[in-house]
Amino acid sequence: MALKTAFLRTTSALILLGVVCVVPVKGQVLNSVARPISLQAVLPESLTVTLSASAVNFTLTPGSATNSGSTSITATTSWTLAPGLTPVRVYAFFANSASALTDGAGDNIPSADFQISDNGGAFRALVRTVPFGGTKAGLQLSSTPIRAANRSGSHTDTLNFNINLTALPNLPPATYTGTLTIQAQAL
Amino acid sequence: MKTRVLQIAALVLAAITFTATFASAQLNSGAQPITLAANLSESLTVTLSASAVNFTLAAGSAANAGSTNITATTAWVLKPSRTAIGVYAYFASAAAALTDGAGDNIPSSDFFIADNAGASTALTATVPFGGALAGLQLANVPITAANRSATRTDAMAFNINLSTLPTLPAATYTGTLNIQAQATP
Repeated sequence: MALKTAFLRTTSALILLGVVCVVPVKGQVLNSVARPISLQAVLPESLTVTLSASAVNFTLTPGSATNSGSTSITATTSWTLAPGLTPVRVYAFFANSASALTDGAGDNIPSADFQISDNGGAFRALVRTVPFGGTKAGLQLSSTPIRAANRSGSHTDTLNFNINLTALPNLPPATYTGTLTIQAQAL
Repeated sequence: MKTRVLQIAALVLAAITFTATFASAQLNSGAQPITLAANLSESLTVTLSASAVNFTLAAGSAANAGSTNITATTAWVLKPSRTAIGVYAYFASAAAALTDGAGDNIPSSDFFIADNAGASTALTATVPFGGALAGLQLANVPITAANRSATRTDAMAFNINLSTLPTLPAATYTGTLNIQAQATP
């Protein structure tokens, strides 16, 4: 009986010793100190307009309401904005409403007779005061609300042009030149 | 006469014996042991060549490289029982490796490391440190008798891929990447 008891005690002690030996070994990985690297990534705000072409010609007919431009132009507006800026608006404008195009000899085509059709819409004259250009020399082409889903996005405006000469029946023959500007703004 | 001779011989023998006994009676102290203990501790350290990386992001771009590479030098002195060393890079959170603090985040799956000019790999594995699915094992070094005390370098190049985050707003995103090593078992 005593021998059996001693055997059991010894066996129990050996089992416990085995457990004690195994458990620490399992947890005895050696870890270094963690070394941190500070990261800073800056996504700057951007707002750009690119044009598919940069020149349009017109062959004018005296007194005609329809004098279409030689080509349409697509303005692509791209942006990456910080939260809180909305919306993105795209404008077309001249520097001066009285002389959008001029022959340089005092004969002018005003911005009120210059028309743009945006994305197949109706032709509209440039008679608004917009954030850029001269007074009553502009047109807002588009306004895109900015939400979380499009803080980084783009918009295209396909522009068709027309010069309406019905209000200028006495415009002399000449070459009239001018500069139309497309510009975007995020508020 | 014979007896006298024997007596003299006995005296001489006794004298010789005494002399020999006296001559061999050197005095030794007890031996005093000195217990020596020289402990070469285990060590495992990681040092970095720099501790900051900047990125100038382009919206939607897959390639936004870090401003600098960083070399991690792992040095170790290990017990014979160790069989491997792993070097890991990780973030605390997979969802927000970098954040603008306003709810807009760059996840660890869009953060890439090219180790020693290897392929650029996203931090999408679960490693012994950091958040789940927020890590990358940079190296696994088998330990043998020949390299129980040694070093290893990992030259890391960084990239942020924004192709999966096309609507990420403009902002400054910050985060902390950790480099840590582990010897096993």
